[in-house]
Amino acid sequence: MKRRTFVGAAAASVPAFNILTAGLARAQSKEIRMIESGGKSGESIEVGYIEPLTKKTGIKVVRESPSSLGKLRALVDSGQTTTVLFELGSGVMVQARKLGLIEKIDWSAVAPAAMFPEAKNDYGFGYQYFSTIMAWRAGQKEPKSWAEFFDTKAFPGKRCLPDYPHYCLPFAVMASGVPADKLYPLDVDAGFKKLNEIKKDISVWWKAGAQPPQLLKDNEVQYVICWSGRVVGDPAFGMNFAGGMADLSYFGIVKNSKPEDRASAYKLMHEMSLPENQAKAATVISYTGPSPDLDPLLPKDKLAEFPTSKQNKAIQWFQNAEWWADNGEAVNKKWEAFKLSL
Amino acid sequence: MRGQGFGFIAPLLVLMFVAFNAPIAYMLGLAFWDKGRGFTLEHYEGLIETPVYLRVLGNTLRIALIATLANVVIGYPLAHWMRGLRNRARLVAIALVVLPFWVSILVRTYAWIVVLGNGGLVNRALQWSGLTDEPVQFLYNELGVTIGMANVLLPFLVLPLFAAMIRIDDRLLQAAASLGAPPRTIFWKVYFPLTLPALAAGTLLVFILCLGFYVTPAILGGGRVPMISNLLDTLINQIPRWEQASAISTILLIVALLIFAGYRRLDRKASA
Repeated sequence: MKRRTFVGAAAASVPAFNILTAGLARAQSKEIRMIESGGKSGESIEVGYIEPLTKKTGIKVVRESPSSLGKLRALVDSGQTTTVLFELGSGVMVQARKLGLIEKIDWSAVAPAAMFPEAKNDYGFGYQYFSTIMAWRAGQKEPKSWAEFFDTKAFPGKRCLPDYPHYCLPFAVMASGVPADKLYPLDVDAGFKKLNEIKKDISVWWKAGAQPPQLLKDNEVQYVICWSGRVVGDPAFGMNFAGGMADLSYFGIVKNSKPEDRASAYKLMHEMSLPENQAKAATVISYTGPSPDLDPLLPKDKLAEFPTSKQNKAIQWFQNAEWWADNGEAVNKKWEAFKLSL
Repeated sequence: MRGQGFGFIAPLLVLMFVAFNAPIAYMLGLAFWDKGRGFTLEHYEGLIETPVYLRVLGNTLRIALIATLANVVIGYPLAHWMRGLRNRARLVAIALVVLPFWVSILVRTYAWIVVLGNGGLVNRALQWSGLTDEPVQFLYNELGVTIGMANVLLPFLVLPLFAAMIRIDDRLLQAAASLGAPPRTIFWKVYFPLTLPALAAGTLLVFILCLGFYVTPAILGGGRVPMISNLLDTLINQIPRWEQASAISTILLIVALLIFAGYRRLDRKASA
């Protein structure tokens, strides 16, 4: 630790030392640490990407969870340098970039296989697509659009919606008649107006992704907006990807992490870009990696369950993380005020 | 002699200061100092300009008060009943009150869903017996939060109250009876005043714990009962606006201290 600080300082003052630090950067750690969101998603990272990496290179990856923006800020503010990879939602990734908590990815060092463009961000490796969609208890009348989903007269039943403005408001705005391609800048007031119309029928606002499927099973609610991986493949539920929101989870490089840790982290990112590894990860969780060549490697009968399969990706729209990073706090105040009016 | 004792507890004081007081002071300071810009009050000004966060705090105080009252209404008779039990029965009762301490708060909270949900035990029994046609909405509202919080916090009230009650000398009650006081008078003139300090302390403890409740309102409130700790979570982990969170925490701390000061005043008056 001391030695490296010295070398770093020396390199900054004496240009000739640059060669030496470049040599250090090429060195790889045999063990790196990541903070990810945990649960099945963490298992899918282990099976899909870490195991192949360890087999090829001997590099070990220690996983910790859960990941939140607050934790990342605490890591960086406290000056720790042991964790190199941090999982970030798309909005959180933009905020982390603006707060200077993550650093640019050296994409030439990653040398990825083909990726969807939105997944290849300057500051984030988009490793996992997930969708926020409408779902219902099997046997309920099936809504075809958000306008129908929010029409509690024609589609009677209790609703369970996300207690996160960025996973909920866009759909309310769509229900008020705004098409997906004109959604942003988001007409927040139209969204709240729509939510106000049906608030009597919204019995639960969920915080944890496990809540909506359980509430459907308990018949506590009949219609939900939830994450696709929680409901696909279960005959107890009906669902519709149409008009759903595709989103990405990213891995970012923690600010001030060690160069040799980064070199190893880039190796892991390379593994994450390979479609054959993404197919392995998709056996654990119904969320998919960023490769456009993934479809043929997935089981044919399950293609309808994945966020990025051709049939599903085309009918969804993509989350506008930049807008939420700029407006999230102001919207949150309105959100709290709305919640107080329930 | 006094100085000697201090030497023994000094390490503990240092530990308390370093591990507890210093981080709190740092956290409270966050709202006043901006990196590079020095002293500022803008985070408090922000609270006043958009008072929605303060309204969440108000809502939290209201729910805490309701839950505390519910606790007293259930806890006091329970403790009193336990006092009257025989030794073995009393042990069993104490065990039953303390038992929930060993069960994770998350498990207990989810257990209420099984008991009180639309398809839960209570609603099925009610419908089976013909008392109701539609399921009664126990959960995902303030009632659910109150039930959950009362359940989790009951031991904090019952145990000190029970400890105070069994210390009451039965002969005092007998003396009152021998002077011709009816049971109601004995209770209100002799028994109740003797339990009042413990009741006040337990109530205060429960109320302050209520202010910081997180899991129960999040799950049993169905997100419909905004509480300050859930808001703080959003401000710390999602947005993240630690300075704003710090300002709110400071106000929460001051409110708690004011309540405590009020209690001390009452306590001193009562004992004087």
